[in-house]
Amino acid sequence: MGGAPPLLEMRGITKEFPGVKALSNVNLVVGSGEIHAICGENGAGKSTLMKVLSGVYPYGSYSGSILYQGAETKFSDIRASENAGIVIIHQELALVPGMSITENIFLGNEPRRFGRIDWQAANRQALELMARVGLSEDPDTLIKDIGVGKQQLVEIAKAFAKDVKLLILDEPTAALNENDSQHLLDLLRGFRSRGITSIMISHKLNEIEAVADSITILRDGKSIETIDVKGEGADEDRIVRGMVGRDLNSRFPDHEPKIGEVFFEVRDWTVRHPISADRLVCKNSNFTVRRGEIVGFAGLMGAGRTELAMSIFGRSYGVFLDGTIIKDGKEVKLKNVSDAIANGLAYVSEDRKAVGLNLLDDIKTSVVAAKLSKITKHGVLDEAAEYQQAEEYRKNLRIKTPTVDEGVTKLSGGNQQKVVLAKWMFTDPDLLILDEPTRGIDVGAKYEIYGIIQRLADEGKGVIVISSELPELIGLCDRIYTVFEGSITGEIARRDAAPELLMKQMTSMKKLATS
Amino acid sequence: MSRFKELQKNLFGGGTSNARQFGMIFTLLAIIVFFQVKTDGLTLTSGNLIALTQQYAYISILSIGMLMVIVAGHIDLSVGSVAAFTGIIVAKAITEHDVPWPLGILLGLVVGAAIGAWQGFWVAYVGVPAFIVTLAGMLLFRGGNQYIGDASTVPVPEGFREIGSGYLPEFGPNTGYNNWTLILGLLACLAVIWRELRARQVRQQMVGAEPSPLWIAILRMALMVAVIVFATLRFAGGRVGTSFPISGIILAVLVIAYSFYTRNTSGGRHIYAVGGNSRAAELSGVKLRRVNFYVMMNMSVLAALAGMIFVARSAASGPQDGNGWELDAIAAVFIGGAAVAGGLGTISGAIVGGLVMAVLNNGLQLIGTGSDKVQIIKGLFLLGAVALDVYNKKQGKFSIVGALTKPFRRDEPATPAAAPVVEHVADDKTPASN
Amino acid sequence: MSKFFTRSLAVSTAALLALGLAACGGSDRDGDTGTDTGTAAKGFAKDALIGVALPSKTSENWVLAGDLFTNGLKTAGFQSDVQYAGASTTVADQQAQITAMVTKGAKVIIIGATDAAQLSTQVTAAKAAGATVIAYDRLITNTKDVDYYIAFDNFKVGQLQGQALLDGMKAKKPTGPWTVELFSGSPDDNNAGVFFNGAMDVLKPLIDKGDVVVGSGQKDVKQTAIQGWKAEGAQSRMDSLLTSTYNGAKTLDGVLSPNDTLARAIITSVKAAGKPIPVVTGQDSEVESVKSIMAGEQYSTINKDTRTLVAESIKMVQALQTGAEPTVNDTKSYDNGSKVVPAYLLPPVIVTKANAAEAYANDPKLSALTK
Repeated sequence: MGGAPPLLEMRGITKEFPGVKALSNVNLVVGSGEIHAICGENGAGKSTLMKVLSGVYPYGSYSGSILYQGAETKFSDIRASENAGIVIIHQELALVPGMSITENIFLGNEPRRFGRIDWQAANRQALELMARVGLSEDPDTLIKDIGVGKQQLVEIAKAFAKDVKLLILDEPTAALNENDSQHLLDLLRGFRSRGITSIMISHKLNEIEAVADSITILRDGKSIETIDVKGEGADEDRIVRGMVGRDLNSRFPDHEPKIGEVFFEVRDWTVRHPISADRLVCKNSNFTVRRGEIVGFAGLMGAGRTELAMSIFGRSYGVFLDGTIIKDGKEVKLKNVSDAIANGLAYVSEDRKAVGLNLLDDIKTSVVAAKLSKITKHGVLDEAAEYQQAEEYRKNLRIKTPTVDEGVTKLSGGNQQKVVLAKWMFTDPDLLILDEPTRGIDVGAKYEIYGIIQRLADEGKGVIVISSELPELIGLCDRIYTVFEGSITGEIARRDAAPELLMKQMTSMKKLATS
Repeated sequence: MSRFKELQKNLFGGGTSNARQFGMIFTLLAIIVFFQVKTDGLTLTSGNLIALTQQYAYISILSIGMLMVIVAGHIDLSVGSVAAFTGIIVAKAITEHDVPWPLGILLGLVVGAAIGAWQGFWVAYVGVPAFIVTLAGMLLFRGGNQYIGDASTVPVPEGFREIGSGYLPEFGPNTGYNNWTLILGLLACLAVIWRELRARQVRQQMVGAEPSPLWIAILRMALMVAVIVFATLRFAGGRVGTSFPISGIILAVLVIAYSFYTRNTSGGRHIYAVGGNSRAAELSGVKLRRVNFYVMMNMSVLAALAGMIFVARSAASGPQDGNGWELDAIAAVFIGGAAVAGGLGTISGAIVGGLVMAVLNNGLQLIGTGSDKVQIIKGLFLLGAVALDVYNKKQGKFSIVGALTKPFRRDEPATPAAAPVVEHVADDKTPASN
Repeated sequence: MSKFFTRSLAVSTAALLALGLAACGGSDRDGDTGTDTGTAAKGFAKDALIGVALPSKTSENWVLAGDLFTNGLKTAGFQSDVQYAGASTTVADQQAQITAMVTKGAKVIIIGATDAAQLSTQVTAAKAAGATVIAYDRLITNTKDVDYYIAFDNFKVGQLQGQALLDGMKAKKPTGPWTVELFSGSPDDNNAGVFFNGAMDVLKPLIDKGDVVVGSGQKDVKQTAIQGWKAEGAQSRMDSLLTSTYNGAKTLDGVLSPNDTLARAIITSVKAAGKPIPVVTGQDSEVESVKSIMAGEQYSTINKDTRTLVAESIKMVQALQTGAEPTVNDTKSYDNGSKVVPAYLLPPVIVTKANAAEAYANDPKLSALTK
């Protein structure tokens, strides 16, 4: 750590919820003007720690002390911490979609003149703030009309409107594509050069390596260690070990693929956007899947991977224009989701909370939801059968829950994802399409999910994995297609798959066949 | 788990929505006891119970349909108008065009189905929000009622009146009671016992599931049988010529049929799935449009039936029929534990919710409260009941009873279930990210 | 577990028996089966409960009637239960209120019906429970279980209104033809038609002769009806009439309005359109209308003194209490579709600015307005 006194020092923070210690004796020292990363698995206590810092959990509801700018603070609420220059930006952005950029930046903080809002001044100031975060847009543009990346920037500009000294970003790049992420990281570096201190909570080790000056690792509510990147360098294995608490010899289970013949083929698949009639989201796509094979689809966000998958899955996205699906040598027409399920397709969506699960359901109801006919006898649901089926999946997939009567909201992300997998395994599919199957899941659970995927392939099913994480695709898939702007731009066998090659294919139209 | 908790959890089944029902059943009992005392025992007399059943049968029939509509994430404001529209058509057909009354009932159901298909079409296939479609329907069919009926009152014949104000016939030996009602009560008791045994049997088949303790099962059975026996004797012991009302029997049959449908068939599951997360339901192979269409259509059929029962009870169809019914039905559904956003709620909850309002209304009338004050009290009660529930949910607590007894309980909060729960608390905005 | 089992079983059996016995004791079938069918002409206790069910509080008259009943019945030594129907769910409310009165054992139930054709089930139940049913102001139809009808002579009311309309127009413009518009009351109110027919009894001959012209041509009771006696209904109908018929030079000389609330709504509409106020009739002697008459806007109203009507109703109750037959003065005219209901009719009085002071001499509130 540099010679300057630290901006923030949290000492021996302990926070208890009824029956559990969410934080136990956590220490965090953030130097002035640095970028400090906090790593940890889901549930390690990162968000709780930030809530303690920002006054969401007020002084007195935790033990330990917080020194900020050399003095002990006793924030009673989030307002108090904001007044002290601590601003937290949550991953769920707090913007009003129907309002303009300016209106959002000054929401609750409007510059007034004689009691009325001075929009001229507001727009002027908004432009200044936007320039500081590198956002060039008309300040009157509505939030809903700009992308997530830019929305993130508006959120940061909003923080600057409040004269921020310590900026806390909770998973800032989670929803951003590669370019926007890069831009954001550059921005953080820029802030550092101007003396603004940032705390960044992240799962993405590569980003942490790229920008962080120091890294504090949390596990099970305890601070494990703080790494000074400049001095010691950021060793990925060390971080992972710290987070998981054990060595992960490999991020992927060992697997010997048993690949059979081609059983699923898509030809000339062309789909247009549901609203704009002249926009094609899939252009003449062709691909095949073999039995027992794990096929990856690589592409940047918005490249059309999800659109391709969903349009195949019973035309549940866009407007079908052309193309054929051939399964087991016969053409099948999948006009709706029930057709797709009946023909042995399963689609695990990328956003399990928004479209994968009914969050009001319990585990057993979720597991059987996509094929109720399997537990129906003479038109009546057989509750005993439902329970037994769900129980079987609980054991096989090691879903951590006391019983399958539990509501799905009570599960962690990884376990929810296992429930979604169970739901689709229950439909006895031949082809599973998994869209970002490990998004938002911690390292340990990922390993288990990879194992499940490999087991499914070994049972002779075809598996398609769509992922934004290239290491995941390279580690897991037997073959990878790259997608760019709605077209399949390449097909790469496992032995040839390297991040650089994939990235090239994912960002250009030039077709390159390697296998 | 303490015995009290166990009781609370198992007496009416688990789950949060059931917790609200548990609270509501308690509230219902409290209200009944309160008015029973205040009215010197008039509340639970045979005559009053029979009248109460007849007065609220049609509202409860509406709330069955409304529950399904609300669970699916919609609302239906047109039920009162649809009821009035159907009522006048049926009354006119019977009285002025000499249609035999059983055919008239059939006609009414067909009219209801046609209206429902119309509204379902706009909601499901065009995608107009149900609020708008049924607001339009409210005007449309109210106007239709006045257009067809010339805003006048059309009487209906005796036979037809049976469905609204009729009773079971007297037969067999003089037992001092209506024998048919006694038989129905006996059947109900047997059904309750059979159901309880069957449920236990099913639960035992589930390897790993803990069945609710035997003493609770027996207590529950005993309580329900006791209530049924009491109600049976009351309903059977009214004036000679009266019995459990025919409209009540229609209601009971519908409640049983629809409860079964919503709980135990895939069609019922689909309604909850659509209301809980329509996109997820669609991607699980649920035919969204079809579900929405039938839910709306079913509502109008039930509204038509309710309208006919009201006409039968009033002996005539009038221009004011159905005014404000939608509000009563919606209130019953929400008091009974349904969620405004859809996806949650049960038929039995809606019926209990309706009963609470009915007993409140009746009790206030019996103690001579004016209709202005009755409305004020009902309004406050609706707000209070739902607000308390929302409050309890926020506190992570449980029902009115839980709140009342909270100071006296010291339960160990760390059950094995606590681990994932806490993970949820600590990191509650589980990311869609990595 | 088995200990629980036996204990629970014992407790529940005991509970069942207790409930069963309690319920047996409560059976209504024991004593009063035979007595139900007889008429209640045998008299009843001096402090018996008398139920009064009135429509919703949409007109001053009903509010006044309610107060008069409450006080009058109390003075006469009875217990009273006076109820108004709710504002939106009128019929269902009134049905429930009557049923509640029956449950509470009311001996006489006086009903001012919201919809006179939709109460037969409740009236029958009341009768079966031994109560006497008096239809107050509005005749309850389609049931033989109504015992008496008490009201002002409504046909006479209509005749007086028709005559007042003619007199008023003659005073302003001695010779015809006069142009008029006709309004009638709510179609679900049995009286509305009676008023209208009474008025037409006077006006029809002149319309046929051509001395009186209905400007819009809307002469049928269904065209002229105002649903629910609602002021806004009358106002909007008048607005449209003015726009459609009296847009040009045509002048409107008179409007037949069945009551004061509608009369004032009609006058409001005419004033808003900037037209001269025609001769407008009324009924009920509402405070605002009496003021309007004294100010020279509304032409006439009818004084059907609610005090007298309520007093006569209470007299009927008192007669029934002693077991005597109450006085009636018409046993022929009021056929409700199931039977001819014996009626006691009171004579109405027409009131214009000329005789207002005299007509309201007994009414403290209204007589103050006429000075």
